[in-house]
Amino acid sequence: MLIELLTKRYPGMRAWLMQRLTALVMAVYSVMLLVRVAILQPSIYEEWLSFFQPLWFRIASWLFWICLSLHAWLGVRDVFKDYVPNYDVREVLLKILAVLLSVYIVWATWLFLVY
Amino acid sequence: MKFSIYRYNPDVDKKPYMQDYDVVLEDSDQMLLDALLRIKDLDDSLSLRKSCREGVCGSDSMNINGKNGLACVTKLADLEEPILLRPMPGLPVIRDLVVDMTQFFEHYNSVKPYLVNNDPVPETERLQSPADRAKLDGLYECILCGACTTSCPSFWWNPETFVGPAGLMQAYRFMVDSRDQALDERLENLEEPDRLYRCHNIMNCVEVCPKKLNPNAAIANIKDLKFEQAREHKAASKKKIEIKAI
Repeated sequence: MLIELLTKRYPGMRAWLMQRLTALVMAVYSVMLLVRVAILQPSIYEEWLSFFQPLWFRIASWLFWICLSLHAWLGVRDVFKDYVPNYDVREVLLKILAVLLSVYIVWATWLFLVY
Repeated sequence: MKFSIYRYNPDVDKKPYMQDYDVVLEDSDQMLLDALLRIKDLDDSLSLRKSCREGVCGSDSMNINGKNGLACVTKLADLEEPILLRPMPGLPVIRDLVVDMTQFFEHYNSVKPYLVNNDPVPETERLQSPADRAKLDGLYECILCGACTTSCPSFWWNPETFVGPAGLMQAYRFMVDSRDQALDERLENLEEPDRLYRCHNIMNCVEVCPKKLNPNAAIANIKDLKFEQAREHKAASKKKIEIKAI
């Protein structure tokens, strides 16, 4: 049913629901991150490196970043809709945001693959 | 009692201004509207809307000390002086405290605020069970004063697209009416991203409603109905696939 609501048939609900689902993923990841930090207590660089080393955690971190980018896109788009009434200026700002978030996603993917 | 009232007559004034009044009230002047009528006796150029004088018609909604409300049900004793009176924000001012509510009613009309029922008209009325009738409580009481919609920042920011709390609450009022047959169409009608989903739960609507209604809850319930609709669509398409397979 959730997938149905994320289709083009429900353009309004899709964005609204996506924002909440991404928030949920980020909340779960954040709790997981804090618990892991509390247990492993990494302090030096090598310990932090091994902290992010397990494949499952790298996938989770990458997923977190994708969700953060999607969440930011939807949220900032809403803010622009509210506060930037000029359509052309808003479009330019949205393009800048899209490029910025795309760069972040590429960067996160590169980190996921390399480390 | 001291008042500071927004004045603007587009035929004469270049820009709006605040005019101060110091009025001696009678003992019988208990409500803000009583005082306003007293002021109007002194200065008949002041324009405002009023009708029923008891919170039923919704005509005299205005911004009172920064918060929208109805002048006729606002007690003078509860207000701090000088009482600042402005027209409701977010709508064009026609004159003084009178605003042009065309856009508000366009949004209201856009949700089809009437019963859609294609069954033959019954000999008497269309009956409802007491439980179904109870679902309309807290919704049908809306007097369309516009206090909620014009205090909603989402409406100020997107007045052309966002239906606003009053319109959305009336949309929900007909969605849950057991006699209505257009639930799917009503939900489709609100699916455009900015019509319903611009609501950010700011809750000004709930705070200012003179009838103590909760448009925010109605908006959340519409979203629940969307979930319900999607579930039913999925079940229906699954059934279709099963029939085809047979």
